[in-house]
Amino acid sequence: MDTSELKKFSDVSFDITVAKKNALERARSRQIVAHSGHLFRADSHTINLARTLSDRSGEFYILDVNDNPCLIKDTKEFLNLLIARNQESLNEYHRWYQTLKNRKSQ
Amino acid sequence: MTQGVLLFCFDTAEVQYHRITNRCVDQINHHLCLPITVVTNQSTLDQWDDRPNVNFVVIDNQTGNRRGSSEWHNLDRCEAYQISPYDVTLLMDTDYFCYTSNLLEYMKSEDDFLIHRDVYDLTGKNVYDFRTNSLIPMLWATVIVFRKTVRAKQIFDTVRYIKQYYQYFCKLYRIDFANFRNDYAFSIAMNQIDGFNQQYFIPARLPTLPATARVRTFHEYGLTFEIDGQLRNIEHQDVHVLDKEIANV
Repeated sequence: MDTSELKKFSDVSFDITVAKKNALERARSRQIVAHSGHLFRADSHTINLARTLSDRSGEFYILDVNDNPCLIKDTKEFLNLLIARNQESLNEYHRWYQTLKNRKSQ
Repeated sequence: MTQGVLLFCFDTAEVQYHRITNRCVDQINHHLCLPITVVTNQSTLDQWDDRPNVNFVVIDNQTGNRRGSSEWHNLDRCEAYQISPYDVTLLMDTDYFCYTSNLLEYMKSEDDFLIHRDVYDLTGKNVYDFRTNSLIPMLWATVIVFRKTVRAKQIFDTVRYIKQYYQYFCKLYRIDFANFRNDYAFSIAMNQIDGFNQQYFIPARLPTLPATARVRTFHEYGLTFEIDGQLRNIEHQDVHVLDKEIANV
């Protein structure tokens, strides 16, 4: 076995793993949004909850990232904000991922 | 309601912090578009040829603290509440570089004092594990968002008190770092103000490049650093850089 080749391969794998973790961290940081003086994480959990609650009534209460309750009055605006930020962050993550895939295929 | 950024910048014999501050100010102007106040001393201001267009506050800063064999002028952070001209203040280290507008979201929060609890090591080596270095988790005073409230004032007043009796508090909280460190002073202050429960934090991790990573170049969207002989990039991500050689990059 050519151990120098193995080390090169291992180093590249490590770099890719770190780069992927950093890209995901960047996306997660970008998903923090403020609404009505509270901070929320625009992740799938929050979006699903907001969507489910907005289907049932005009207003709803939801917990922010620090577990403080917040009354959401304009549910449509809130949901749009969450989805926009979620997709913005994942779009950027996807672009990075495509670059990585192209690099791997070369 | 006024909003702005407050920076503390004091040159030492080893590091020209004003050069780092220039870069920090550029990034704030580009990504946050907020008014900036820089707290400095007269000798730093005298050295500052290419002064940025910011509001300067000149103080006679406290000296005497050290990190290793180097001077460490970090003793005036507790005066931020008094000095800040803003209703909502983003208090930042000058070695934190904004490549996003993420910090603006935290300033819209009605919480009157937000600070990072968790750190993220961008090198992937997870070098920041201080769990056994103190009885309470260490918070990161690199970025703080505060409003002019009674509670926020109490936190800063408590930090000033802790600074005065720092060695006592080090023993009480079994903190391994004997030299004054704002991270621990704010950790203790929040612990005490919050009734020995730490409660509200910035809900993201502080992206940090440890001192082992050497920054080689800054570019429009981020920076390139070297670690273990390899070059890596950070783009579109805020970054807290511990390598003080960046003053010369």
